[in-house]
Amino acid sequence: MDSFAHVSPETLTQLYFVINSHLVIVLGYYCLLKRVKGWFFRRCDDHAFEQPPFGSFVQDGSKKPLIPDPNLDRNPTNGSDRNADSLPSSCTDEQTLHKDILQRTALDIIDVSAVISQGLEQHEYMDRARQYSTKLGVLNRTLSQKKPVPLPSLSSHPQQVLAADLVSYADIQQVSKIAAYAYSAISQIKVDANEELVVQFAIP
Amino acid sequence: MEGALEQHLDDTMKNPAIVGVLCTDAQGHNLGCRGSLSDEHGGVVSVLARQAASLTKDPTDSPTVCLESDSGNVLVRTHGTITLAVHKMAS
Repeated sequence: MDSFAHVSPETLTQLYFVINSHLVIVLGYYCLLKRVKGWFFRRCDDHAFEQPPFGSFVQDGSKKPLIPDPNLDRNPTNGSDRNADSLPSSCTDEQTLHKDILQRTALDIIDVSAVISQGLEQHEYMDRARQYSTKLGVLNRTLSQKKPVPLPSLSSHPQQVLAADLVSYADIQQVSKIAAYAYSAISQIKVDANEELVVQFAIP
Repeated sequence: MEGALEQHLDDTMKNPAIVGVLCTDAQGHNLGCRGSLSDEHGGVVSVLARQAASLTKDPTDSPTVCLESDSGNVLVRTHGTITLAVHKMAS
């Protein structure tokens, strides 16, 4: 239908800008929502993410707008030029973050099943077992040469010692006296303060 | 300063039955020794006395640890901060 024939070009431009601005706002909200959702999920495992939630003023030095303008060229961000990007699009940030997590996990995990073993033959396996056992034998011999010293036997006739007289009370009193004298002798060890420890330097 | 202690240890050794005497502090550091007891016995002596002291709840009651053998008895006693060990022959 010819519905646009009566509309002037100026009105058309105005309409275009209005619609565009609305689109910007709507898209901005959508991206903000996505980022906030990502932020909440980030909270659960904080260590996996390094990027701050809103922009990276500190990292790059240049100030970035909080809500990126979708009119700018959106180059598909891959993991390698994530840092080099001047204006990362927030919608693909989640994808890059996912890729980042996957990369990190792949680096950390050692997949044992993925390694295809060459397959030892029987004779090679036996050879290796023999090698290892000889090495172990050498080590065992060197270790066993350092025997632990057995406890010394105190007496050849312990029953005599056990049946002997108990320590007399006089002995115990004597030792108590000696200990008391020794304590008083040690308490005499002290420093006599003769002169000042701190002196003033006098420069003549 | 340590003259009094040294003199006291010498006096103790004058006793014919005593063949060794050792004086240590609470950590086993040797303060003075004579005769059959020397530096290396300091740690053992101090630890034995400390462990024996934990047998009783009364802190003022200092026990005397007696090690009896066929080559004499070693009596260990704590007094204050010092521990004294005397090696005495059975008479």
